[in-house]
Amino acid sequence: MKRIFLSALGILSLIQLHAQSASDSSGYKSKKLTLDEVNLVSSYYNQTGNNAAVTGGIGSEKLNDISNIIDVKFIRYDKKNRRHILDAALGIDHYTSASSDLIDLKANSSASHADTRIYPDISYSVENETKGTTIGAGLSASSEFDYKSFGGNITVAKKTNDKNGEFTAKVQVYLDKVSLVLPVELRPVTSGRENNYPTTARNTYAASLSYSQIINQNLQVAFFADFIQQQGYLSLPFHRVYFKDGSVHQENLPNTRSKLPLAVRANYFLGDNIILKAYYRFYTDNWGLTAHTANIEMPVKITPFFSVSPFYRFYTQTAIKYFGKYQTQSATNVYHSSNYDLSAFNSNFLGAGFKFNPLKGVFGLKHFNSLEIRYGHYAKNNQMNANIISLNIKYK
Amino acid sequence: MVAAEYSRSVKLMGNNFTITLVAKDNTLAQKQMDIAVAEIRRIEALFTTYSNESETALINKNAGIKPVLVCKEMYSIIERCAGISNITQGAFDITYGSLDKSLWNFDKTITELPSASVALKMVHLINYKNIILDKKNTSIYLKEKGMRIGFGGIGKGYAAEMAKKLMIENNIKGGIINASGDLTTWGLQANDKPWTIGIADPNLPASAFSYLNISDMAIATSGTYEKYAMINGKKYSHTINPRTGLPVQGIKSVTVISNNAELADAMATPIAVMGIEAGLYMINQLPALHCIIIDDNNKIFTSNKINLS
Repeated sequence: MKRIFLSALGILSLIQLHAQSASDSSGYKSKKLTLDEVNLVSSYYNQTGNNAAVTGGIGSEKLNDISNIIDVKFIRYDKKNRRHILDAALGIDHYTSASSDLIDLKANSSASHADTRIYPDISYSVENETKGTTIGAGLSASSEFDYKSFGGNITVAKKTNDKNGEFTAKVQVYLDKVSLVLPVELRPVTSGRENNYPTTARNTYAASLSYSQIINQNLQVAFFADFIQQQGYLSLPFHRVYFKDGSVHQENLPNTRSKLPLAVRANYFLGDNIILKAYYRFYTDNWGLTAHTANIEMPVKITPFFSVSPFYRFYTQTAIKYFGKYQTQSATNVYHSSNYDLSAFNSNFLGAGFKFNPLKGVFGLKHFNSLEIRYGHYAKNNQMNANIISLNIKYK
Repeated sequence: MVAAEYSRSVKLMGNNFTITLVAKDNTLAQKQMDIAVAEIRRIEALFTTYSNESETALINKNAGIKPVLVCKEMYSIIERCAGISNITQGAFDITYGSLDKSLWNFDKTITELPSASVALKMVHLINYKNIILDKKNTSIYLKEKGMRIGFGGIGKGYAAEMAKKLMIENNIKGGIINASGDLTTWGLQANDKPWTIGIADPNLPASAFSYLNISDMAIATSGTYEKYAMINGKKYSHTINPRTGLPVQGIKSVTVISNNAELADAMATPIAVMGIEAGLYMINQLPALHCIIIDDNNKIFTSNKINLS
């Protein structure tokens, strides 16, 4: 897209140029060159060293069209010597899930429910290299069948005087719309179309602080602290809760939630081709959930265009105060959930990612500059096992 | 010993040459740099018009009088120049030295252009077709009296290329010969990474607007941002169009990327003279030659095989 845009601009300004210079024409035309004319210049310049002397100018002087592409990394500096970076990304997720089918029992089919999520993301930042400061802002949007999200963020970063440490503060706001897709037996009886679900708001405000430090050539560490405040409809509308009396209800959770994750990450570079990445995160919130995550990953660059990264993640959490299993809760509690994502459990996730970034782009499409396939086996101690394959294509 | 980069800056051919070599030790690097400098001096002596003894001076002195026998090296460079003149429709022309500056001279303070007829009169001796090449005798004859040739548009690129060739023959695995921004690279840096080259931002010549990761490539930039004059609200550059005698306008800078410094050096200014459309049309027909053009409105144009990301 960027490329097409550029040439469209180009054509436009060529027209302008023509209009301007009609009176004082330079006198040069777009001229088709003959093979002889091209050869006269190219045969000398494209010879490698002394080939011509050896062969007496025969054979080796054949014109070969070298179609190597030149890549120019585009960075704009303004008059105050600040660096401007504009980044745009488009993500597409396609997922299938067996349990999504059960929202609507009547429509249950043998094939799993599938959904596609598209999330464009655009960010712009200005870096003042002399002062070591960066100011940036970004917008993102995400849309899927029952969830729309619109986000904005502002980032301020400052490097330490020796440029080895960087402090970043970020404020993020997500304004989301959740469609109230109720379990089918709890839907009000309406005569209208079933697809027209009402929506409700869910807003998330996050303040993030991070500090990264280069310890030496091989070791980098970073610390993260976030404070997240959520307001609005925080339950999932299609989650069912069965009370002791056997009655079925919709999940009900408080309208506010405060979360506090704290994390540390260390990257160790073992030579040019291997990185050891370690990550630990502590999480607590006012619903009573406390969690620990430990992750280790080791990307190994096999060739400049292919890398493999095995990973392992351990995760453990306590249950929220409002959690209860099937037919254990009653109407005496205002809030109740049987969502096992909010129960106490621990999990192990083991797998590997395979990343290809071919020179000419994925499938020869040069804007798709990398493709990553991740496979992992996920096991939760409450009898849930999953094999996860994800595909990530980067568009530049 | 671990290889390191050694450099030296020398004033040669009226330009500041910086030679950077990747070598195992300083003694070896200094010795090779002496050889590179000597090679550039040898070429300078061939092209100079300050001495009456150089082959170039002899050709000019005998314009309209008689052919001059020249060495094979001189003959073949003039032959290549004629080829470049041909494909650029005369925008590149080594007889540019025949420009008659007594009628009108470009400087920053001028307020009006010469008339079309005066302008044409200034350039009437510029015509590469009046260089008569005799391959059998390796002689050069300038047909018109008063005609002059000069290698200002190609000489430093040629010198850089010749110095590079010598260094490769002498087993220097990597380096840069930089002739005031027109440079040629080979091999890798001492840390085994490819050479990175920045292209100057025409609005901010001290900093680069983009970076290229290229080794074994040459790059030359012709900018009109250094010398220009405003005439009736329009910006004109100091480059004179050899066809019309009038200063060139519309283009701020042209960067040419090639595997040969001589060709890159020779092509940059002619593209600015030819204009964006004709210039790009020409470059796109030539193998292993690429260019980036920035016009007066800061719009960027590139040849087909350049990827801006």
